Amino acid sequence: MFKKIIDNSMAKSPWIYHINTGSCNGCDIELVSVITPRYDAERMGFKLTGTPRHADIVVVSGPVTSQSKERLVRTLAQVPEPRVIVSLGSCPRPCNVFKGSYSVEGPLDKFCEVDVSVAGCTPKPEAIIDGLALAAQILKEKRRQK
Amino acid sequence: MQILLDLFYVLIFPGFLFCAVVGLLLAGIDRKIVARMQKRMGPPIVQPFYDFFKLLGKETIIPHAASRGVFIAAPLLGLVSLVVMALFIPVFGFTAFSGVADLIVILYLLTIPAAAIIVGGAASGSPYAGVGISREMVAIVAYELPLIIVLLTVGKKAALDGGITFSFTEIQAYQAEFGSMLSHWSMIPAAVAMLLVIPSEVGSHPFDVAEAETEICEGPLVEYSGSLLGIYKLNHAIKMFILTALFAALFLGGAGSGILIVDVLLLLLICTVVTILSMSLPHAISARLKVEKMFKFYWTLVTVLAVISLVLVWMGF
Amino acid sequence: MIQHFPILSIMSLFLGSFLIVIFGGKNRFIRNSLAVLFSAIPLVLICCLIKPILIDGEIFSYWMGDWEPVSGFAIGIGLEVDALSLFFALLVVLTIFLAAVFSLKYMSRDDALDKYYTLFLMLGGGVLGLVLSGDLFNMYIMVEILTFASVALTAFRNWGKGSLEAAFKYLVVGSIGSAFILTGVILIYAQVHTLSLAQISALLATEGLTPATIFGFALLFAGYATKAYIVPFHPVAADAYMTAPSSISMVFSGMVNKAGIYGMIRLVYMVFQAMSQSAMQYIIVILGCLTMFIGVTMALSQHDFKRLLAFHSISQIGYVLTAVGLATALGISGGLYHALNHTLFKGLLFLCAGAVFYSVGSTDLDKLGGLAKKMPQTTIIFLIGAFSISGLPPFNGFMSKWMIYQAAYEKAALEGSFFYALVTIVGLLVSVLTLASFIKVTQSVFFGQLAPGCEKAKEVPFSMRWPMWLMAILCVLTGLFPGFVNRYLVVPASAAAIDTTGYIDAMMGAGYGQQLGLSPETALSLEYELTGYWDPIAWLVLFVVLLAGLMISLGLGKASRGPVRRPVPADPKYDTFFGGEASQHSHVGGSDLFWGLKHNLRHYFRFMHSMHSGVVNDYALWTVAGTAVIILFMILFL
Repeated sequence: MFKKIIDNSMAKSPWIYHINTGSCNGCDIELVSVITPRYDAERMGFKLTGTPRHADIVVVSGPVTSQSKERLVRTLAQVPEPRVIVSLGSCPRPCNVFKGSYSVEGPLDKFCEVDVSVAGCTPKPEAIIDGLALAAQILKEKRRQK
Repeated sequence: MQILLDLFYVLIFPGFLFCAVVGLLLAGIDRKIVARMQKRMGPPIVQPFYDFFKLLGKETIIPHAASRGVFIAAPLLGLVSLVVMALFIPVFGFTAFSGVADLIVILYLLTIPAAAIIVGGAASGSPYAGVGISREMVAIVAYELPLIIVLLTVGKKAALDGGITFSFTEIQAYQAEFGSMLSHWSMIPAAVAMLLVIPSEVGSHPFDVAEAETEICEGPLVEYSGSLLGIYKLNHAIKMFILTALFAALFLGGAGSGILIVDVLLLLLICTVVTILSMSLPHAISARLKVEKMFKFYWTLVTVLAVISLVLVWMGF
Repeated sequence: MIQHFPILSIMSLFLGSFLIVIFGGKNRFIRNSLAVLFSAIPLVLICCLIKPILIDGEIFSYWMGDWEPVSGFAIGIGLEVDALSLFFALLVVLTIFLAAVFSLKYMSRDDALDKYYTLFLMLGGGVLGLVLSGDLFNMYIMVEILTFASVALTAFRNWGKGSLEAAFKYLVVGSIGSAFILTGVILIYAQVHTLSLAQISALLATEGLTPATIFGFALLFAGYATKAYIVPFHPVAADAYMTAPSSISMVFSGMVNKAGIYGMIRLVYMVFQAMSQSAMQYIIVILGCLTMFIGVTMALSQHDFKRLLAFHSISQIGYVLTAVGLATALGISGGLYHALNHTLFKGLLFLCAGAVFYSVGSTDLDKLGGLAKKMPQTTIIFLIGAFSISGLPPFNGFMSKWMIYQAAYEKAALEGSFFYALVTIVGLLVSVLTLASFIKVTQSVFFGQLAPGCEKAKEVPFSMRWPMWLMAILCVLTGLFPGFVNRYLVVPASAAAIDTTGYIDAMMGAGYGQQLGLSPETALSLEYELTGYWDPIAWLVLFVVLLAGLMISLGLGKASRGPVRRPVPADPKYDTFFGGEASQHSHVGGSDLFWGLKHNLRHYFRFMHSMHSGVVNDYALWTVAGTAVIILFMILFL
C-alpha cells in the first residue's frame, strides 16, 4: 500500500528543473507562461525548482552547443532517479535552424535518453502542458518498474 | 499503561502523526489560498502529501563533498525538536506533557529547526548553501528580537500577583479567567508583531531569503534530495502548525470547551485563519525581501510593535 | 589530616613547578610525568574536600604556622575554604589537570617545555591560592603570580605573529589592574588594620563604609574586574587568548578569569556586603550587560578561530556577572552554574581550536574548511561545545542561561523596574547572536568545501582527544542532571557566597561577629521557586523515543526503495551542484556571513572597530578611565 501511495504521488507532484542549452529564450518564456494564472500548471502539482537535486522532470530547451554540452551532462547526472527528460521546442533534437553549425554538438539524444519531445518553434503552452502531463505519467511508470 | 499512553502522545496525538497531517494540510491550504488570491486554480489541498510521498520514493543522493553523518542527522534533528515542541504547546486545557517546558524552552527549541537547516546546509559542502546559511542566520537574528519581546510580554501579562510566569499552564489559566490575550487591548501590538514573526520563522514567501530558489538554488537545501528533502519539507509544514498553534496558545487561549475533539477542531480553525492572515496574505501580495531590508523591517517596525506592548503591560494596562 | 589538604594542593602545584625547573630540563619523560603528577595531586586533594565542605557544609579555616588570632585580632595568614572557594577550586584543578594532559601531545612540537610546565603549574598555583585564600594581601600576591605567569605564557610561542605584542599589552593592563588591587588593599588596611577577609568583613559591617573604604573597595573591584576581563578592560584578553597556546587559552578562560569573578563575588557579597544596595546591583548588571553585548558583537566580526572564542569568553563572563549582580538567590545560583558551564564548554572549544591548530597549523577561519571529513571526532566534540555555549536544550548552557533569564525577569517584576526586563531581553538576544556566531565557525572550519592546506589534516592523537571527550561528556551531564549539580555544587556555593556570619565565625572563632554587635543576618534566602518548567530527563526520554521511531521508519522506507548508495568518487552524480560547472571552475562564495546584520548596524560596528584599535596606550587609557568611572559611581551612590 505504501508503495502504491508513492507511485501515485509520483504522477501528481512532478517538479521541473529547466536547463537552457543555448535556446533563443522563446521556449523559456513559453515554459514560464505555463505557470501563470492563465494556464496554471501548479493545479497539477507542477513546480519549478532551483536545483537538479529536487527535480523529477528535466526540461531541456535549445540546441546543445559545445559550451553547454559538458554542463548539461553533469547536471543531468545530478538528478535523482526516477527522472524524465523532456526536450522543449524544435531545437534540442533536430537542432532546428542551427543544424550544422560549428558550435552545435548535435541532437540531445546523443547525451541522454529523451522521454518526451514537445515540438514547435515555439511550442504553445497547451502543448507544453500536454507534454509535461505525459512526462508525469512516464515518471510514474518508471517508478513502478523499478 | 502510562508508557503506552505516553507513546500514543508522542507518536500519534498531539505528537508526530497529528502535527504532520495538520501541518501538511495547512501547507496545502496556504498554497490553495495563495493561488486563489492570484486568480489561479491552485493545486489540490492534499498536494503537500503528494510532494512528501513522492520525495520518499525518490533516490537520496549524498554528494561526496558532504559530511555524511551530519548531512543525514540534521533534518531528523529538526523534525524531532518540532515534534517535541508539539507535545509542549497546549491545546486549550490539554497538554500532553505539562510541567516539562516553558516559554523560554520553546524559544530555544524554535531555533533548533533553523539551526538544523543551517547545519545540514553547511554539511552539504555547497557554496550556494553557504550563501543561504548566511541569510538564514541574519534572518534568525532579525526575527528573534521581536519574538523574545513578545514572549516576555505574555509572560508578564499572564502573571496574576504582579510577578512573572513562563509556564503555559498559567498562561492558559489566566486566559480562561480573564478572556483571551487578544481581548486585552494592550496585547494587540504584540499579537500583530507575532503575526509578522510567524512567516519568517516558518520561512514563508516574502521572508524566505534563505531558500530563494530563483537566486541561490534553494540555499541550504541545494544538495538535498529524496527522503531527506522530504523530511525538510515536512519540517516546514510542521513548523507552520507549531507556530500557529503557539499563536493560538499565547493569544487566543482559554479554557476551551472541555471536550478534546471540539477543542482540537477549534484549534485547527484558529490555525487556518492565522495561516491565511500571516502567511498566505503576505505571500500573495509581496515580493521577496532582500536580507538587509528584512533585518531592518524586523528590528524597527516589528520590534517597536512588540516594545509598545511590553511597555503597556509593564505600566499595568 | 584533611585540614591540610587545601594548603597541600596549593603547595603541590608550586612544588611541581620548582621540581620541573630542577629535573625537567633534560629528560622528556621525567618532565611530563612530573607535570601530570603534580597537576593530578591537587585534583585528588580538592575532590576529597567535596564531602565535608559541599555536602556537610563545613568551613575549613587554616592558619599558616598556626598563627591563630590573638585576642580577636587576626595576625597570621589564613586559608579559608568554604563552599564558594571550593566550587571555584574544583573548576581550577579540573582545568589544570585536563590542560596538562592535553599539553603533553599538543606542545610536543615546541621546545623549552620545562619552562612551559614551570609557568603553567605556577599559574595554576596562583589561581588556586587566590580562591582558597582568606587573606586580602595574600590574594594580591596570588594575583601577581598569576598575572606574570600569564604574561610569560602568552609570549611562549614568541616565534608566532603578535604573541610578544599581546604579552606586552597583557603586562601593561594587568599591571595597572594589580596596582589598583594593591592600592585598594593598602587603603583598606589603613582603615581596619587587618588583612583577614573575615575580620575586615566583620569590622566594616559594624563600623559602616567610610569614603576611604569605598575608594579602596572601588579600586579592588576594578582591579579584579581587570583580571576577569570585564568591558572596558577586555581587549587585552582577545589578544592574549589568541596568541597563547590553546591549552593556555583554555586555562585563561577556564580559571584565570574565574579568579577575577571569584574576587569580585567575594568582595561585593562578603567583605563589603554591598549587594543589598541597589546602586551596586545596577553597576554590576550594567557592566555585565555591556560585557555580554560588546563581547558577542565583536565576536561576530572576527576572522580568527581563537580570537572569536576569546570574545565569546568575554561575553559569557558577562552573563555570570549580570546574574551575580542581580543579588537574588536564583541569580547567584544561575551565575555560578554558568561559571561552571563556561569553564567546561569554553575549555572544550579552546581545545578544539588547539586540535585544529595541531593538525592544520592555522586558526584563520578564512584558511580552514571542510575539516569534518578529516577530523570527525573533533567535529562532534566541537558541536557539543557550540550547542552548549549557544544554550540549546538539553545542553548545560541552556540550564544556566534559563536560570539567569528567570532571575532577571523575576527581579524586574519584584522591583517593578523596567531596566531588568531590558536585561532579560539583552540576555536572550546575546544568546541568539552566540548561536549565529558559532554557526559561522562550524560552517567555515568544519563544514563547507575542503580548503587548500587542509588535505593532510588528521584526527588528533588519543591523549589530546580524551580530555576533550571528558569535557564534552561533562557538558552533556551537567545539562542533563541540573538537579544533581544544583544540589551538590551550585546551591552550597551560593549559600556560602551570602553566608557572611558563618564565614566570619569559622575564621575568627564562633560568636566573633556578635561580640562586635553584628546580628546574624539572613539577607537572602536560598529558597527560590522556578516560575517555569524544565525537566531535561523527560526531554531526553522523549528525544530517544522519537529518534528510535524515526530510525525505524527510515529503515522501513529504505526497505521499500532500496539502499542509500555510497558515493562513487568518479561519478558526476555525486558532485556538488554548481549550476553545471565543474567544481574547480565555480565562482560562488559568500565572503561575509553577517553582511545583512553588519550593514544595518554599520555605525555601531565601525565605532567598535575604531575603539579596538590595538594600541596599548588606548587600552591602558580605557582601563584607567573605566576605573575612574567605577570609583566615581561608587563614591557618589554607595
